[in-house]
Amino acid sequence: MAEQRKAAQRSTAAGKPKRPAQRSARSALLIATDAKKTVKQRVAAMAEAPLAVCENDANLQAMLKVLRDNEEPVEVRLAALQALQAASFSVVAFASCRGDYIATLRAVVEDANPELRQRVLGILAREKDGFAQQKLLEGLQDPAKALVPPEKALQLLSYDVHADAYPVARAIVSQPPNATARREALRLLAADASSAPLFEKILRDKDEAPEVRQISAAVLQATRPETLQAHAREMLLDPSEQDEMQAVSLTALAQFGNAAALANDAALLHRIDQLSGEQSTRVQQSARQFLSKYGR
Amino acid sequence: MNVELQINNSANPTARFVAWAPSPCRIRVTNPSGATTPTVNVQITGTSVAGGGAVVFRSTTTGPFSDSLTVPVPINGTSVPFFVAGRFGRPSVNAGDVTIEARTGTTLVGSVQVMVRVRKNANTLIPGERDRFVSAFAQLNNQGAGRFADFRDMHTAVSSPQAHGAPAFLPWHRAYLLDLERELQAIDPSVSLPYWRFDQPAPNIFTPEFLGVSDTIGTVQFSATNPLQFWRTDGVQGINRRPFFSTAAAPPGLRTEAQTLALGNRYRAFRTMEGNPHGSAHTSFGGSISSVPTAARDPLFFLLHCNVDRLWARWQRQFGRFDPAQTASYDSNPGTPIGHNLPDTMWPWNGITGGTRPPTAPGGALAASPCVSAPGSQPQVRDCLDYQGTVNAVSRMGFDYDDAPFA
Repeated sequence: MAEQRKAAQRSTAAGKPKRPAQRSARSALLIATDAKKTVKQRVAAMAEAPLAVCENDANLQAMLKVLRDNEEPVEVRLAALQALQAASFSVVAFASCRGDYIATLRAVVEDANPELRQRVLGILAREKDGFAQQKLLEGLQDPAKALVPPEKALQLLSYDVHADAYPVARAIVSQPPNATARREALRLLAADASSAPLFEKILRDKDEAPEVRQISAAVLQATRPETLQAHAREMLLDPSEQDEMQAVSLTALAQFGNAAALANDAALLHRIDQLSGEQSTRVQQSARQFLSKYGR
Repeated sequence: MNVELQINNSANPTARFVAWAPSPCRIRVTNPSGATTPTVNVQITGTSVAGGGAVVFRSTTTGPFSDSLTVPVPINGTSVPFFVAGRFGRPSVNAGDVTIEARTGTTLVGSVQVMVRVRKNANTLIPGERDRFVSAFAQLNNQGAGRFADFRDMHTAVSSPQAHGAPAFLPWHRAYLLDLERELQAIDPSVSLPYWRFDQPAPNIFTPEFLGVSDTIGTVQFSATNPLQFWRTDGVQGINRRPFFSTAAAPPGLRTEAQTLALGNRYRAFRTMEGNPHGSAHTSFGGSISSVPTAARDPLFFLLHCNVDRLWARWQRQFGRFDPAQTASYDSNPGTPIGHNLPDTMWPWNGITGGTRPPTAPGGALAASPCVSAPGSQPQVRDCLDYQGTVNAVSRMGFDYDDAPFA
């Protein structure tokens, strides 16, 4: 890695003309990493620094030091993280920095600041980083080890779901610490084919919150579209169904339904015609859109 | 008597879309009954529905545009060329909200309905425009099983060197957006890609009816009528996006449009905008959009990049940088990696894999348009500069921005 960085430095030093934007990025990086400057000055400078981050090893290490150093103001550390992330979008230039960057992120996942922990774990989770995934899973299995709230851990694990997360997600669906954690557990289980019966049950349970019923509809539409389409039809024909779920059903049918079958479904069209005059604006709007699409 | 009007030189109704750059058109007599001379004078005008688009005309490739045009048309069926463009500042809101009429005297002898279709500020879309866009996008994705999967696979960590950190950052993304937009238009031709002007407040984008509202952990919530509630990518249900700013305001720390356009009058200086505002706009959020491997999972990604492309378009107009033959229009030097030189074809549309290219080329050739032939199915970098056909009319790519007039 150090060799790659040196090669990159040589290439930079090999006579590429110094451009104004790079000069300004270097100046910004100097301000951003200077503890004598004010927090405001340093945060503002971080926005201009990404272009200079991977120019040489000293620049990279200066930025990583700010991120690692828990004596630094957290605003500056968060801005440093953001600058490093912005620099990572230039994948080729960032390649030589990547190893040290990931190592530093791993080093701060247990930082005292919860916002920093959350952001760092988010970046690592999107990189499908096994170390971060293990930390998140351990926190769900043993709350004493949790680095982020359970709902956040579940959300981050859903970027790259492994089967070993399913048991803990199912346990949280059954006995959730809060409603958001249950919702995120369901989102994680969206990747688990064997959870389809659970989603069908929640979809048809009028005692469930519309939010989780909505997620269940989306999961079923993706994994078992015929099943969802059949449920959506039944839910529309059911006058006791929640307004919100009738709107969800209308949207699912209008967007992803079988056009020929829908246009010939007299009972359904009659019901949607009724709904187009309903009090609920949401249902009315969806019903009218549906009817305009299917020619009534 | 009857005449036929062909927009974009095509009899195909799907070609009846114009923008600010002039579209080549033609008129011919299809039924000469009643005509008493070998040539008839036909007046061509445009009429608009209330709030709809407006068009202007000219008879040749250069010269001023006017509200109407009188064309001598032979009754023997020979076509006569003319040009139609959207009147700058008067884009359409619906397909066919402008009618181009042909009259001899006061008699209507032919008409076609057209749309002035341009890319607009997403924050100012009317509900109908917003809903059509969202619906087309949801259908293109089809819960992760649709054609959109190719677009996600085009923008990954592995493919990133084809598109980032080198001069073709802007041309590559221009082709990428155009490919996606044409796929959306195959679902609903009235749709164009809107842009997120990230240096201004854009509260109307971050609503349950449009791109959703993020809760405290960054899970995006949609209304029950929004088809994006069914969004799914790579097996991940929904969208994760946590703004680090109030969505009633613009993200802090991003270069403004004026600052971006002032980066310099040479492409080499301008393309540093890849860092700020481009990279900074991505990282003003947590969630998918903030990391290269997952960024294209979020529909907002395409609105963000549409604004990046708009900034390039406005910079090109400000400094007259459409001509690939002009050194200041692009950043060419011998050390530039493959895929980033003007004559290079671009991955994945060129289908080349292995070596310095990624191992697979998802999506095939760039989608064709019924309105224009450029930039072709396997575009070179150079094909993406003259997007309005300013230097060469056949280079017109068929899109425009509401605030970037024809140069």
